[in-house]
Amino acid sequence: MAVSLTRRRGFLPALLGLLAIVGPGIITASADNDVGGIATYSQAGAQYGYKILWVLIPITIALVVVQEMAARMGAVTGKGLSGLIRENFGVRWTAILGLAFVSSNVFTTAAEFAGVAAAAEIFHVSRFLAVPIVGLLVFFLILRANRKITERVFLVSSALYFSYVISGLKSQPHWPDVWRGFFVPSFQTDSGYLWMVIALVGTTISPWMCFYLQAAIVEKGVRVRDYALSRIDVVFGCFVTDFMSFFMILCTAATIFVFNASHPHLAPIAINQASDAAIALKPLAGEFAEVLFALGILNAGIFTASILPLSTAYYICEAGGFEAGVDNRFRDAPVFFTAYATVIAIGVGLVLLPGVPLLSVILISQIVSGILLPFLLVFMLIMVNKRSLMGEHVNSLAFNIIAWATAIIVGALTLLSVYETIAPLFIKSG
Amino acid sequence: MGFHEGFLSEIVGKTAVVVGPSGQITIGRVTDFVVTQPHDTFPKIDSLIIKARSGHYLAPSDTLVDIEPNRVSLSAAPTEAPPPEDQALYLVEDLLDKQIVDVEGRKLVRINDIEIARTGGTLRVVAADIGLSGLLRRLGANRLPAPVFDRIPRRMISWNDVAPIDDLSPSDVRLSVSQRQLPRLHPSDLAEIISDLSTNDAARVITHLDDETAADALEHLEPDMQKTIIEEVGTERAADIIEEMDSDDAADLLSDLPEEQQKELLSAMEPERAVELRELTEYEEDTAGGLMTTDYMWIYPHRTVAATIDKIRELAPETEFIYYLYVLDQSEKLLGVLSLRNLLLGKPTDTIHNIMERDVVHVDTETSAQDVAGTIARYDLLACPVVDEKGMMLGIVTVDDAIDAILPERVKRQLPRFTRKHKHQERAGVA
Repeated sequence: MAVSLTRRRGFLPALLGLLAIVGPGIITASADNDVGGIATYSQAGAQYGYKILWVLIPITIALVVVQEMAARMGAVTGKGLSGLIRENFGVRWTAILGLAFVSSNVFTTAAEFAGVAAAAEIFHVSRFLAVPIVGLLVFFLILRANRKITERVFLVSSALYFSYVISGLKSQPHWPDVWRGFFVPSFQTDSGYLWMVIALVGTTISPWMCFYLQAAIVEKGVRVRDYALSRIDVVFGCFVTDFMSFFMILCTAATIFVFNASHPHLAPIAINQASDAAIALKPLAGEFAEVLFALGILNAGIFTASILPLSTAYYICEAGGFEAGVDNRFRDAPVFFTAYATVIAIGVGLVLLPGVPLLSVILISQIVSGILLPFLLVFMLIMVNKRSLMGEHVNSLAFNIIAWATAIIVGALTLLSVYETIAPLFIKSG
Repeated sequence: MGFHEGFLSEIVGKTAVVVGPSGQITIGRVTDFVVTQPHDTFPKIDSLIIKARSGHYLAPSDTLVDIEPNRVSLSAAPTEAPPPEDQALYLVEDLLDKQIVDVEGRKLVRINDIEIARTGGTLRVVAADIGLSGLLRRLGANRLPAPVFDRIPRRMISWNDVAPIDDLSPSDVRLSVSQRQLPRLHPSDLAEIISDLSTNDAARVITHLDDETAADALEHLEPDMQKTIIEEVGTERAADIIEEMDSDDAADLLSDLPEEQQKELLSAMEPERAVELRELTEYEEDTAGGLMTTDYMWIYPHRTVAATIDKIRELAPETEFIYYLYVLDQSEKLLGVLSLRNLLLGKPTDTIHNIMERDVVHVDTETSAQDVAGTIARYDLLACPVVDEKGMMLGIVTVDDAIDAILPERVKRQLPRFTRKHKHQERAGVA
């Protein structure tokens, strides 16, 4: 009897295994460079030039530490972060964190759509056309496509960040200065510099990433056995995303910073939002650089505008005990999809409704997120060290020292910036 | 005692007082409730845990005088230390906020609160609150005016419909609640629940099921999940479960596994079944060979109708598909086919070869899934036999497997998971 074998033999299974695991880490880390992130990196480059590049090194270490813990918890426990918080800290903490998390996500989603609007306007497309279309697009991507397709779309989106590398190279940086700025830490005593460093930390390490990454790892079904591969994905993702950040800073450092420095008699070009950087690049680095930069913003906006609401929906369902996951049909997981749609709808609404003070909205979301982060990091550290939860996969002593240090430094920095933002509101200027 | 029923969250945190002849002394606060026989339908609460300044104490429920709105009164001061975690079930610590299976609603939910009631002088656990109102009560919303709070949707599930995922038993008892409750679910619902669980929990649930139920549930799971569970439960148990699966599903699962693991599992099975499954794994997945099951009814042509019906009665419990009888000779060559309907309409004394259909529609092992489905549709069959080039019977492809194989992924996601029609018929009362 003629028999054909369908089984795979040889080295292929190993490669296929790797491909089956790759995804969540790279996707989460890429989505981390959202519209707000691009704005912050562009500002950093424009104001401080190559000298601020070194900050990326400690930021990357912190990012790897936090992301790795979230991924490990997902793989070992098979549960999402909010579910774990509820089981370990009770319903009150879950609700308090949830309230902060959900409101911050809603406003950040609005910020992503605002980025989409600004980028669309660079291409002379009205925001009233672009934003609703993108809103519907991200909604249907999740509703109609299965996890595999969604993940592939996200991976392509991650690859599109490469436009920043091209933009960065097109802006012809002065490489000796670049390497000096990157490898030699330099400090400036002005308060603006400190706030810039804090803003960079705050935009890179955000609560929703931890939630999203853990949910993605769980839904993908990564197991402890495969975790070694998954860890590669997570760590590699953190490096790739900061590699992109490096080029974002380079873009504006090589153009706007250099131009401002060499034209002291002119008013310096200021960057207030991501799209400003794109517009400023046109006369300095050519139209191609502007287009690439704007495309990058568009990509980042669409990408994060789908992941943030998703992360929100996961939180609500995990914590409340409702059915969740993109592989469900609407009527099997109504709460999940309703939450997802609601966050998108509010985000779109905030951008399109006249008279919404969008900048204040974004500021509030950053404040809430900044307060939430230290709490979340402490919760994560407590859980990841619980033997009853993690078995042999608790943190090692060395890792714990780095992780606690990261949590304390990042927590202190974000709280400091929150204080700085809020304080003027309460202190009468006199 | 004036207490009738209430929620854990309303009682936990109350002041505990000892009422004696000389008045009352405040001793601490109620923090938890202990159950030592969690497998009863409505488990009895054996004692309360009181947190005093000097530590935690165990107050047996027979010393409980009453639970009042602002305090819990006891007749004697508690002196015993609480039992270790693994010797008893702590309601607050072990159950609140944890996931359980709602057997009635057929899904995974979280326990927001637990209702307890006094029946015949003992306190018992009666229901789990899984609704929004329970969640909000935990957050203190019951302080809202009653007309507002009462409008929040309530969802309670009676404790006899609760199946915990974890083995609730103190470590010396090996019987699990889930073992008693979960088999009540339809296999596809059970699979749905299992796929929502974390890997460890899923494996645990499977471990608690009997082989038959576990196999049924496994058939309905996605390949990835199947593999995970097989790895988690260990070779011996996995082999037992796979033996019980439909042979086509079992073969699909095996051929997805690494060579090494396949060998291990097969060698742990009964030799006869192992040979059968090994043969099935050799076929391409989307051909008749890959779709077929060897689980069918066959009969020799010289038998009478009466004898055949007796044989069906004897074999039916073991066989999934009994609607067609395949007539084979000594060398297993396919001679004809007979539907259950024709058999029942035949006279008891008729011999099979007089009433069988000789012109049997069949496919060979290499026929594509598409063509098998086409054949089944064209001739309105429930199953189609697969034969080799000499006309030897190898197996059958049932209609549900054929549909499953050709439906595009997208359509499948829109549909409820395909469940075997005949399984539904077996289980009256399942929608």
